[in-house]
Amino acid sequence: MDINLQVSIGNITLKNPVIVASGTFGYGEEYSEYFDISQLGAVTVKSLTLRPRLGNSPPRIVETPAGMLNAIGLQNVGIETYLKEKLPFLRQKNCTIIANIYGTSIDEYEQLAERLEKEGGADAIEMNLSCPNVHDALNKYKCPLIAQSPEWVEKYTSAVRSKVKLPLIVKLTPNVTDITEPALSAEKGGADAISIINTLLGMSVNPDTCKPRLKNVVGGLSGPAIRPIAVKMVWDVSRTVKIPVVGMGGICYTSDALEFIIAGAKAIAVGSYLFRDPLAPMRIIQGLQDYCISKNIDDINKLVGSIII
Amino acid sequence: MNKLHECIITLHNLVSPNHYRMVFQNKELANQVSPGQFLMIEVSPGYYPFLRRPMSIERIFSDSVSILYKVCGEGTKLLSTLSVGEKINVQGPLGNSFPIPLDYQRYLIIAGGIGVAPFPALVEKVLNIRGIAPEIILAGKDFNYLLCEKDFRQMGCKLHLATEDGSAGYKGLATDLLQSLEETEKTIVYTCGPLPMIKKVHEICTQRKWLCYASLEAEMACGEGVCLGCVVPTKMEIGHEMMACVCKEGPIFDTQLILWNKIGEE
Repeated sequence: MDINLQVSIGNITLKNPVIVASGTFGYGEEYSEYFDISQLGAVTVKSLTLRPRLGNSPPRIVETPAGMLNAIGLQNVGIETYLKEKLPFLRQKNCTIIANIYGTSIDEYEQLAERLEKEGGADAIEMNLSCPNVHDALNKYKCPLIAQSPEWVEKYTSAVRSKVKLPLIVKLTPNVTDITEPALSAEKGGADAISIINTLLGMSVNPDTCKPRLKNVVGGLSGPAIRPIAVKMVWDVSRTVKIPVVGMGGICYTSDALEFIIAGAKAIAVGSYLFRDPLAPMRIIQGLQDYCISKNIDDINKLVGSIII
Repeated sequence: MNKLHECIITLHNLVSPNHYRMVFQNKELANQVSPGQFLMIEVSPGYYPFLRRPMSIERIFSDSVSILYKVCGEGTKLLSTLSVGEKINVQGPLGNSFPIPLDYQRYLIIAGGIGVAPFPALVEKVLNIRGIAPEIILAGKDFNYLLCEKDFRQMGCKLHLATEDGSAGYKGLATDLLQSLEETEKTIVYTCGPLPMIKKVHEICTQRKWLCYASLEAEMACGEGVCLGCVVPTKMEIGHEMMACVCKEGPIFDTQLILWNKIGEE
């Protein structure tokens, strides 16, 4: 049986719905030693900023039950070095590239997106409006994330939308009361897809030292621990907006990917579990194929949102 | 190059209270590794613990590799329950290896506690390519923590022992012993152990103009330079500070390149 695994986001077609999440795959070089990365639906690169960023002071990560906290602080090479030194490798490997961008103002997002479009630096853009680790911890609650304000989400999205034609994916935070509000705003602003979820804010304390385990005090929680939250948010959002949802949050196995797809995600991303098993995305691509065969489904798109309630 | 290996445990011993040696067989892996590199080991199936555990390579044999580890948390506790004959999934080799310049007569190792783990392989390599047995300062809290002492003696190393409680060798710290060593000869130093010890070794080596390489340890998730979790501030890039990954740019660093004033004391 011929199974169609292709899915479309905006005007691009992914060869399958399995993506790797931003910040868990570098710029593709490292894991290309493990498998042929062109087999992926798409590679999302580590957040790019206008200038290189040093990131936060260590310790930056701590393992938690069924997951981990991180406070990397968007350490990255900057758009210039990305275009010059990282992009050629991804292009040579024939990857579909989603460039994740982070700016500190609308203007910066616009500049990043325009630059990427002009120089062929991406096949789609993911706007990171939801990094939890770039504000000083003590000011965190006075300085909310863009994605926590539906109004700002629409403003940022429509601004970038007006500058570029590349498919625009808006990455939202789960640290909100109702995720459908910023999702609707992103759609209204002209986004082609919503990606959810970014990490959940969390914290861990070492009782021996009475100090937080992360130098940044708080960080973002990822891994299977957050998966049920992510599945629920995908279900919420996919029923609310008309644009596709890219689901992520603790996906390790094929069955996890299926949960997201059945709940409403058109594509899914593997994140921190890559650290444990770099081959997880390949296992999932194969697993989705096998599942479709066993269920007699000829097109993965028929599974999207097929939940029976 | 395949970096994910199914290995079979061929030996697993308690070598001192809370410290184990594990040997596992996989010829492909054994043929790839160099002294100083490390492995990421899956200590259990499933999500608990979520991440692999980074382990120094203790010794390299023709078709197997050994690690020496201390039980210090749930992950290593689970690892310690595995039996001979069981399979483990090992990722590696990862990171860089110890540079061994040939124009030295004196190779000096300073190991604190479980920090001794990467050195038996280094000693064997130095013996191999230089025909010289490194000199070793082996230090620990008490005599129980002086690991590999017998192995080093068998390899012909000159040993200086130090324990904090005086239960073996000199009573005091490794760095006190280092201070008392002859300054005359051209020496290259390799060190691994608690961070304050490494820092002090670095300071002494700087005074003496000795080249010093340290094997650093850090909380780590991916082992491949992807997650950027295990960074240390360095001046590896000329002109500005660079956060280097212990797993990728390290674990072996020229201590002159580390920005010691930016590293916390915890």
